[in-house]
Amino acid sequence: MYSIARPCAPLPRALLSDAPLPLLVTLGVLTAGAGILAATEIVPIALARALGAGGAQGALLASAVAWAAAPNGESRPAPAMAALVVLAGALGAALVPFGEIAYLAAPLWLWRARLRLPGLGLARARMGLVAAGAAFGAVLGVHLLVTASLTLGYGVRMPTMTELAPWLAYDAGANVLTTEACFRGALFDRAHRRWPFAAAAALVTAGCLARYLVDPLLPHSVEVAAGAVFYLTLLSVGNCWLYWRSGSIVPGAAAAVVFFAAYRLLREVP
Amino acid sequence: MTLTPGRTALLATTLLIVVTGALAIADVSPSTPWRHLYLAPVVLIAVRFGVAGGLLAALGTALAFGPFVLREIEGHGPTRAAAEGVLTLVVLAVSGAVVGSLAAGARRQRERYETLRAAQRALAEPAPLGRVAARLAALLTRRLGVDAAGLVLDEGHVVAGADTLDPHSLAAHVLARRRAVFVADTATDVRARRAVVVPLTSGRETIGVLAVERLGDVSRAERHALIGLGAAIGLALDNARLAARQRRFAEELEEKVEVATARLAVMDRLKSDFVALASHELRTPLTALQGFSELLATRRFAPDEVRRLADIMRGEIERLGRIVSDFLDLARLERGLPPALRRAVVDPAPLIAAAVELFRRTRTTHRVELDMDGALPHVDADSDALDRVLKNLIGNALKYSPPGSCVRVRARAAHGVVTVDVEDEGPGIPAEERARVFEPYYRVRDAAALGPGTGLGLSVVKSLVEAHGGSVRADAAPGAGTRMTVTLPAVP
Repeated sequence: MYSIARPCAPLPRALLSDAPLPLLVTLGVLTAGAGILAATEIVPIALARALGAGGAQGALLASAVAWAAAPNGESRPAPAMAALVVLAGALGAALVPFGEIAYLAAPLWLWRARLRLPGLGLARARMGLVAAGAAFGAVLGVHLLVTASLTLGYGVRMPTMTELAPWLAYDAGANVLTTEACFRGALFDRAHRRWPFAAAAALVTAGCLARYLVDPLLPHSVEVAAGAVFYLTLLSVGNCWLYWRSGSIVPGAAAAVVFFAAYRLLREVP
Repeated sequence: MTLTPGRTALLATTLLIVVTGALAIADVSPSTPWRHLYLAPVVLIAVRFGVAGGLLAALGTALAFGPFVLREIEGHGPTRAAAEGVLTLVVLAVSGAVVGSLAAGARRQRERYETLRAAQRALAEPAPLGRVAARLAALLTRRLGVDAAGLVLDEGHVVAGADTLDPHSLAAHVLARRRAVFVADTATDVRARRAVVVPLTSGRETIGVLAVERLGDVSRAERHALIGLGAAIGLALDNARLAARQRRFAEELEEKVEVATARLAVMDRLKSDFVALASHELRTPLTALQGFSELLATRRFAPDEVRRLADIMRGEIERLGRIVSDFLDLARLERGLPPALRRAVVDPAPLIAAAVELFRRTRTTHRVELDMDGALPHVDADSDALDRVLKNLIGNALKYSPPGSCVRVRARAAHGVVTVDVEDEGPGIPAEERARVFEPYYRVRDAAALGPGTGLGLSVVKSLVEAHGGSVRADAAPGAGTRMTVTLPAVP
């Protein structure tokens, strides 16, 4: 038992210590620059969007890798490499036909580094909780579809696989992966090691909401924002609980992928 | 019908569905008064499952009632009805949390009392402290809903929950500082693992620590409860220790009383034997004296015969005198008084030589040999007492030795003492009885067959020798027989 048989561990460092600041600043500059390029239309809009999204999501994954690595590991995965594979995925999807497959580079890279990233718990996902996560995402998704179709008149359509596959690749390889890795696997884990569950979940949920609400690529009408706050709050709190139970981001990622898949079924949603 | 957790959840879900269905069919606005019906499932679940249950129920109602609010917002913007709907969702969440917290607090309080009662029961069991601590740790793990519980008692000598106490551990820290410690994460698990270590106190004394670890939150209320539990367990532990000590003391006392009673019974038997023996011992010389005195009174004898009879009578009178002296010494001994001595600096050599010479003359059936250093140092002694000691030892040696055997008396000076050995060639004293021959009334088994005696001689010898600051002991003589050794301090 730790309290009796082992020497006291030193006090943990500050919550945001160990963040790869120079890299984050670089990626921030890249994202801001991409925004300027998109506004001034100096480069094709698709390229500017890819640079901006890739930079922002790369920053999330780089932070996750820096925070989730084993503290005394001999070979810690490079955060810059994490950012690079996310950026490569975004650029590949934007510039090459069927390039969306490049989104899968990030999950593949993370899977290879899974043993050196214990905070993400990729190697210890339990199938029962993954199924529970998927069910939770399905409940939220179905609720979203019912609510949206009843209230705003959004239709529900069944897209073809060629329509759905790029979105699934994006969600699994960039959107959900970077969010879950950063906010659950790294930030929630670190916060919960310092604070109670409610405080840690509140911080992470606020971060998650900010991540989606400031995203310039998402619609910003009041009703969509209200719905986003409602569902993303539930998704975030639920995923925090799933992470706390499992010690892995996989159940939460399953919930988010299923939820976003349902979201993609809504008609008139870009 | 008992409301089990399953039935409670089913009832709450049914209520939720019925209320939502009714509101959907009636197509009401979010400000309808019927929305307050959602409080029923939330409160029901919160009372049964605590804060988490209350919040989960609030989440369920949010999912059910949310579409009504969202439709209002999306259809008409942020209207008053929408605000009331949002407020309802907030009230439901707060109600779930508050009611759940109160219910959980009440449940915790009950569990705390039950835990304490169970701990007291465990502590009251008569078992070694280590086993009691292990049992208590297991009980606390189960009752407190933690992943591990451990106890450190007796300044780290008794540990439950781990093999040993690390001197730099949290438990050692709390044991030294006597203040509870909470660690938000032990950094030993893939998930956050909390540790709380509280002192076990009894009065102002810290008699150990209680450590618990859990994967997940340990609320402030639980930490306070643990501190209270530590104090209560400390007190119970201290009481259990006192009770165990009292039990042990009572057992020891019982054993001592049993031994003393047995010893008294033996003493009583020995005394009874002694009375019979003493009567016999006194009657023998008295009978002889009576017979010889009647002969002298009624008959005429030749002068030599008269002298012979007078010698016999004097011998019997001396024997009577010795017996009476032994009785007097014993009486003093039993009152806890030392023998009455008139001490002076004396040369032991003439006394030893005279005693040996006396027995050589009177007991011609045995050989009595004397081996003495040329010049023995003087001793501070009562010469009469010393004479009695020597005669007693030599007389005993002759009494229990077969006719024709030799009794050796050795006197030596060594390292500031004078040592006198009296060795015989008799049957010897069994090893287990050697220490007891100096007890009053005690006689070695089969001794009665070898000669008369009161069982007082050696106890008187011991008391006399010890009154002189010396010692006496019985050993086996080389070959066979017994060697009695008297050691007396020499005058510097």
